[in-house]
Formats: sequence, structure tokens, C-alpha cells
Amino acid sequence: MQKTFIAQNPSVLWFLATLGLFTCIVALMSEATGVDLISTSFLKTLGKTLCLCLIAIAMDVVWGYCGILSLGHFAFFGIGGYAIGMWLMYARTEAIVVPNLMAQTIPPTPQEISDAIGNQIFGVVGSSEFPMIWTFADNLLVQMLMVVLVPGFLALIFGWLAFRSRVTGVYLSILTQAMTLALSLYLFQTDSGLRGNNGLSGLQNIPGFEGAPQATISLVFFVASAFALAFSYVFFAWVVSGKMGSVVKGIRDNEARVRFLGYHVESYKLFIFTITAIVSGIAGALYYPQAGIINPGEIAPIASIYLAVWVAIGGRGRLYGAVIGAAFVSLLSSWFTGGGAPDINLGFYTVQWTDWWLVLLGVSFVAVTLFFPKGIGGLFDYLVRKPS
Amino acid sequence: MSTLLEVSGVSVSFDGFRAINNLSIQFAATELRAIIGPNGAGKTTFMDIVTGKTRPDDGRVIWGDRNISLLGMSESQIAREGIGRKFQKPTVFEAQTVRQNLAMALKNPKGPFAVLMHKKTTENAARINEIADEIGLGDQLARISGELSHGQKQWLEIGMLLAQDPKLLLVDEPAAGMTVEEREKTTNILRRAAQTRAVVVVEHDMEFVRRLGCKVTVLHEGAVLAEGSLDHVTSNQTVIDVYLGRSHA
Repeated sequence: MQKTFIAQNPSVLWFLATLGLFTCIVALMSEATGVDLISTSFLKTLGKTLCLCLIAIAMDVVWGYCGILSLGHFAFFGIGGYAIGMWLMYARTEAIVVPNLMAQTIPPTPQEISDAIGNQIFGVVGSSEFPMIWTFADNLLVQMLMVVLVPGFLALIFGWLAFRSRVTGVYLSILTQAMTLALSLYLFQTDSGLRGNNGLSGLQNIPGFEGAPQATISLVFFVASAFALAFSYVFFAWVVSGKMGSVVKGIRDNEARVRFLGYHVESYKLFIFTITAIVSGIAGALYYPQAGIINPGEIAPIASIYLAVWVAIGGRGRLYGAVIGAAFVSLLSSWFTGGGAPDINLGFYTVQWTDWWLVLLGVSFVAVTLFFPKGIGGLFDYLVRKPS
Repeated sequence: MSTLLEVSGVSVSFDGFRAINNLSIQFAATELRAIIGPNGAGKTTFMDIVTGKTRPDDGRVIWGDRNISLLGMSESQIAREGIGRKFQKPTVFEAQTVRQNLAMALKNPKGPFAVLMHKKTTENAARINEIADEIGLGDQLARISGELSHGQKQWLEIGMLLAQDPKLLLVDEPAAGMTVEEREKTTNILRRAAQTRAVVVVEHDMEFVRRLGCKVTVLHEGAVLAEGSLDHVTSNQTVIDVYLGRSHA
């Protein structure tokens, strides 16, 4: 009588099959395999889109299932990107600087090596000193742990403070947005030790793989992003199914009732908030090596608002809806803002999509919220007829 | 008769308004009790205090054999101690099935990790079926509870309380908006529940209270005005003046 998790959630299997098929087709058509139907830059766009889908399912779990409209998950995404970016930048600079120093007649001291690397990295902000947070930047393992631990820890502290004070609804959204803004503003400062508004760059060059062409590196990251999405999808689908899902949805619909059933609501919110923050961090760590650059502007509150818009358009409370929303809207957005959409000449006025795309997005968001609260994902309800 | 819950000398004010004024009330381990009183008598506030939603300014709330104080405990802790509450408006999780609603309420470990690793067991399934039969929803388990009728939702919520297996059940206006047959069924469910635990029903409807046929406590301006059988309290002159007199006027 115990049905397996997959049997109870056929949409998970459908999703994995679709994602697998998509990944294989794209991989086969990429430059790395010689078919070259998909350019490396487009492959990067697709890989980045998968990372955005990944943070979107995290957002869907925290918002669509648990009812916490967080406007801060892109902060966790950015932190993940910064954490891995520090290693990428350090190791890459080290690989360039050290052979040069070694070529000199007098062997360099460790201090000289550190200064030379520091000078390369922090020259733009007029320093060669390594700030404290770069202590472990030479250690990939530690920085990978940071990708998980820093967003997780921040979410835990922030969530604990906010949830135990019973801050809910729009007030909580404002609080998360304030946290995001504060982080972004802090990173803009040179004092933050993360190169201020310059951010971290050259992240597409993977240390140790200098000889590998970008086509191959991009393909590896694309496939890695697909795997991360697949694993997280199954994980989240498991979390929101069964009893945990019942309680979490209960919290979304009537927090007080769940409390009177004997559940400590705050612990549940904290759990969901933290695991989704961690997954957002992982998504960021996979995204930015494909983007090549991260700067504090990426963490600006608007990014987290877009995230909410994707999930709303895709359909809240269903994971595949979040994936569809993120993929559809972000790809459409790069098409419109990248000059892909032809301008419309009205005679008296020319509609330039680079300017008008945001208006279109805003109108669609309002329209979806008012008329199709189930979003694009809701269309699947018409395909799958419920057994009565 | 051992005392299950003892509320003594409790007072609470909201912005200067004394909602509960030196209230003292006791409940035995197995009894059915109705609390009546005009609007603003403090019935709901009394429930809020017992369930931990409102902290009183003054007084003591002592619970169970171990005589522990409920003040300072969170709502979820109090619920785990064995106090279940049914709200005035039926509040079931409408997006979920009847079975899921009952499963969530069952007396099982309620920490996030225990719940995450929770496996369905035959004992739990049997208990859910048993409760569903008790509340007359045995054939409705797979239905989304949002589709249920008003009366069925009320019963489902009572079922959720029974699933919690509480020692004390606080029920706020269970018969509101019910038909005559539905009321009868509700009365039976509550009477049966009271055989093994304390059931406290807050009610406006005198006819329903009469049907329950139990001890009645009349609240007025946040304090106990009278206590005893329904006939006893309804013949009390003060009760007639402040409550019945008004409604019959």
C-alpha cells in the first residue's frame, strides 16, 4: 500500500525526462561536439537559464508552498557567486603571476607572491592587501563550503530573528528586501573587500583548465547546471510532498491553525527559508562562472522582484511552473532587451523593445495575477484530467 | 473528580478595556461544559488565554496532574500538552484532502525533521479511518476539503481535534450555520468525545446548549456570573437581566 514517492508524483518523472532530453539535445548540438548548431554564447545563456530555473524552484518552495514572499533570495544567489568567484579569481591570478615571479633570478618570498596576486586583484580599488574574507580564497574546498554555509547561515540568523518576532506578509517581504539592499550597498563599498562596484571578473576562466576551449567549459557547466536542477527538483518535490508538504502548505493557508495543531510554525519556516537559501547559493555558484562577472548590481532588490515575477507567471505552488516561468521570461527578456525583437514603427512613435520590454513584463505580471492566478503551469491542469 | 484545568484570578485588558476580569473557572478531566454569555463577555478571550494566544496581565492557569503553568508556553507547546481548539469559523486546510487534514492533526512527533522523515503507517491510516467514521466523513477522505459543505467542514475540524487526542477540547460555536440534523449529529460527536476527555463548548444558541444537557457557565463582563445546570442558570435573576432579558426583549 506504500506507494513510492515517484509514483505519487508523476510530474517529477515527466520533468526529469524533459530536462534530460533537452540537455542531451543541446549538448549534442553544441560547438564542443563539432555540430555547432548552438553557439557557445547561446549555450552559456541556456546554462545560466537552468541556474535561474534552479533559484526559481527554491523561490517557489519558499513562496508558492510556504507563503513567505521573500524578496531576498537573489542575495543568497549572489553570495554563492561571490564565494566561488573569489577562488576562481584568486587561483587564476595566481596561475598567471607566480610563473612570472619564478622566472626572476631571485626566487620570490611568499609575501611577495601574495602582494603580487593582491596587486593584480585589488589594484582597481587601490590596494594590494588581502582582506580577511579572502583568507581561504586559495582553497577551492573551503570556498565551495562557503557557497552553502554563508547563505545558509545568513538565512538562519535572519529567519530566526524575523520569524520568532512573527513578522509575516508584506512586512516580511519588506524586511527581506531591506536585507538585500543592505548587502548590495555594502558590497558596492571598496571596504567590503570584494572590489566594490568592479565586482569579480574573469570568472569564465577555470583555473587548471587553461588549455580547454570555452566551448567545452561552457558545456560542462551547462550539464552541471542541468544536474543541479534535476537533483534539487527531486529534493524539493520530496520535501513538499507527504506530510512536510501538508504542514508547509498549511502554514501558507492558515498559520494559526497549524500552530494550534501543535506544530512549531517558526521552525518550519526557518527550515524552508534556509534550505531554499542554500539552493539559491548553489545556483549562483553555477551561474556566475558562466556569466563571467559578478558585481553588486546583480544583488540589487530588483533581481529578487524579477524572481517573484517569474514564479508568479510560471505558476506558484507547482515546481515545474517555476521552471517554466523562469526559463520563459528570462529567455524572452534577453531576446527583447538584446535587440532580438524588431522595433515597431507606429509613424508618430517607434516602440523600442529595449525600453518597452519592462512595461510589457509589468503588464503581463498584473494580467497573470488578476486573470490567471495559476500561471502558465496552470495550463497543464487542462491536459491532466483529474480522476474523480 | 480531579481537576484538569484551573484558571484562577485571571485578568486581561486591551487598551484599557477589561476583557477578562478576575476570572476563575475549573474543568474536570472528563466533562462536557457549555460556556454562554452575551457578546463581549470574554468567551473568545478566555480561549485565547488558555491556548496561549493571549497573555493575561494577572492570574494563573494551571494544567494537568503535574500542575504546570500554561502561561509562558507557546501555542504549539500548549497544543502538544493536549489542548485542542476549534475556531468559530471552520478553519480546515481547504487546498488539501480530508485525509491530509486529519493526518496533519494526528498525535505524532511534530518537529520538522520527524515530519520530513515521516512514513505512513497502518496504525495512522486506521486511526484516520476511525476518526473519519466518527465524524461521518468516512467516504469523503479523498475529497479536497474546500469542496465540503459548511457542516462537513465543521465536523472535519472537530475530527482534527479528535485526531490530536487532546485532554481538553475547546470548541467555539460548533453549531453556527448548521441545519437541525447537523446539529444533532454535532451534539452526539461532542457528547461521545466528552466521555474520555473534557470538552468545553462556547455557544450562543440556547437551544443547542439545552441539547448538550450539561453543566453551564455564564460569563459576563469577563467574569463568571453563574454556574450550574441550564435550568438553574436560566432561572437566576441576574442572568436573566444581563443576558436572557436582552435577547428576549
